[in-house]
Amino acid sequence: MLALALVCAAAGTGFAQWFELPLPGTPRTPDGKPNLTAPAPRTADGKPDHSGIWKLDTSRHNPNYNLLAKGVEAPMLPWAEELYKRRVATHGYDRPMTVCLPHGVPDGLTSPYGFKLLQLPAVTVHLYEEFTKYRQIHTDGRALPVDPNPQYYGYSVGRWEGDQLVVETAGFKEGSWLDNDGHPHTEALRTTERFRRVNFGSMEVDVTIDDPKAYSRPWKAETMRLALQPDTELLEHLCENNRDLERLQRIWQDRQPAGPPASGR
Amino acid sequence: MRARLAILIICIASTATAGRALAHHSFAAEFDENKPLKLTGTVTKLEWTNPHIWFFIDVKNPDGTVTNWGLEMASPNNLLRAGWKRDSMKVGDAVAVEARQARDGSSNANAQTVTLSSTGQRLFAGSPVQPAQ
Repeated sequence: MLALALVCAAAGTGFAQWFELPLPGTPRTPDGKPNLTAPAPRTADGKPDHSGIWKLDTSRHNPNYNLLAKGVEAPMLPWAEELYKRRVATHGYDRPMTVCLPHGVPDGLTSPYGFKLLQLPAVTVHLYEEFTKYRQIHTDGRALPVDPNPQYYGYSVGRWEGDQLVVETAGFKEGSWLDNDGHPHTEALRTTERFRRVNFGSMEVDVTIDDPKAYSRPWKAETMRLALQPDTELLEHLCENNRDLERLQRIWQDRQPAGPPASGR
Repeated sequence: MRARLAILIICIASTATAGRALAHHSFAAEFDENKPLKLTGTVTKLEWTNPHIWFFIDVKNPDGTVTNWGLEMASPNNLLRAGWKRDSMKVGDAVAVEARQARDGSSNANAQTVTLSSTGQRLFAGSPVQPAQ
């Protein structure tokens, strides 16, 4: 098994693609490897620089990411709990990604493809590899829009509190999942994400979910841990050949009672 | 050829975990972990596309008829990062595949490993099920 692990660890080196691309600005150990425990970098104005390619740290989290640890339940209203349980029982009968719609907020941070974070003075941009999507977090001091047209990623503004970037998002469209198991939300959702770059190689994100139409009170997710993917690059990922959809719909149709999903709204 | 030394094992560490969901859809929604298959045949078509690669092989049945099986793998992005290239497996190649059959009982399955008969090269296919090793 050890030999196998070593071979696996070495796989991917020496290919022409940009998977092993020594990037400038990366702190390195004497052997030239990225020093992931080096201090977090800072921008010219002294703020922590969160830029980099990030992916859910699967040494700390189940890749099937749920916002809450096993056995911990979100304070769901009855209709939300019914919908959530149905999603779990059917392995995702209305999973947006099955029809190539994006992961929601904050679920996009946990996609196994990872995302590139570009921090500029007035805006931070997330480039999500899966389905080639993006999200903007405005840090120019603007307020959230009033009664905006709902969007999958909503509308995000960020501010610095010490070394944390605090991101408030509202204006969500219904249908996206909060996590891989399908915690639901309504248009009333507001999320707060607190991003902290602990060191060069790791980021922590604390998320608060506030949706009075789906949950009886605001609740906090387990701290999400992201791992930097050094010396590599994103790839295009467009949903050009969704062969699974027809069969999945047939399977779900066979297993489910007729009628739309239950909803208490 | 030094066949044993030539066996190259390429892994996707992040997907070699039992029960892992595919990002695009849940493995368990479409495929049955308890329906393992070993298929040997010739590649008739390869769709090197996102969100999943599909390839098709002609498999000879015991009664002499031939079934064309459709086999899903991870995405090109996953397999490129694991060392595959788009021509690692080509139309006309003879392959042996370990897979899990689709829940609808059709001739479709999720491939866990692909072994090229010509070289013995064994390629993990990005399966969510832990390959026997």
